[in-house]
Amino acid sequence: MQNAPSKASSIHGHVRKGRAAVAQARLILLVMINVAQLWVLAATVEAALAHQFAVLLPLVIASGICFVITLTLIFWWRPSSRRFTSSGYLKR
Amino acid sequence: MSSKNRDESDVRIATAPHQHDFPYDREEEAQVTRREFCNFLGLTSAALFIGSAGFAGKAAIDARSTQAFTPAKIEGAEALAPGTSLNFRYPTEKDSAILVRSLDGSYHAFGQKCTHLSCPVYFERAHQRLECPCHEGAFDARTGDVLYGPPPRPLDRLELELRENGEVWATGRVPGSNERSI
Repeated sequence: MQNAPSKASSIHGHVRKGRAAVAQARLILLVMINVAQLWVLAATVEAALAHQFAVLLPLVIASGICFVITLTLIFWWRPSSRRFTSSGYLKR
Repeated sequence: MSSKNRDESDVRIATAPHQHDFPYDREEEAQVTRREFCNFLGLTSAALFIGSAGFAGKAAIDARSTQAFTPAKIEGAEALAPGTSLNFRYPTEKDSAILVRSLDGSYHAFGQKCTHLSCPVYFERAHQRLECPCHEGAFDARTGDVLYGPPPRPLDRLELELRENGEVWATGRVPGSNERSI
């Protein structure tokens, strides 16, 4: 009986640590996407100066995809252990 | 108690009724939260996307537009000695250009912007070629073609016309490009 609260708190601590780790992983992923987008922007500038117009559209699309992924990670991504989802659904 | 701590204590007392609604310490206010950093990354991503789209769009529009050129006399060109160059502006005051007179006496003119990253090229008299000082690119002084270095395409070429009394007139500008269609 005496072990029950400490066990619960231990589990809670694990969940919290795990959630923090996943949130940090999300941040790292966002930073990596930003770096990729910076690279795409540099490539776009070089292609425009080189008059290589055929590659401009694919580069803009690539940057757009990166932006959509960023939005997805920021607005719709939530840890699976969370009780409330982004749509307000309460997990049982 | 130091004056800093006393100030902080005063602030705590003054803001005590609001601590329930805004439960933040002053030190924590200076820290960037995970949510704020996330928002910053999101805004950066949006800015990078808009930058890419804007730059590509402007380049495409510029390439499609046809510009009418007004002939303009290049002042001092008739007195230019063979193997030397002269800077001038054409077609607008913003567009710097370079006129080269070859050793055989013929004239050649090019836009002065390097096609790599837009640094101004200069005429290197010893080797009779146009060189870019930024990334060591070089162009043929007669054709504008890339000799070596990072430039991906030839220099923009200016069309010239020789008129009476040895006057040299610029009449148009042709983009030096390996890819013409868009």
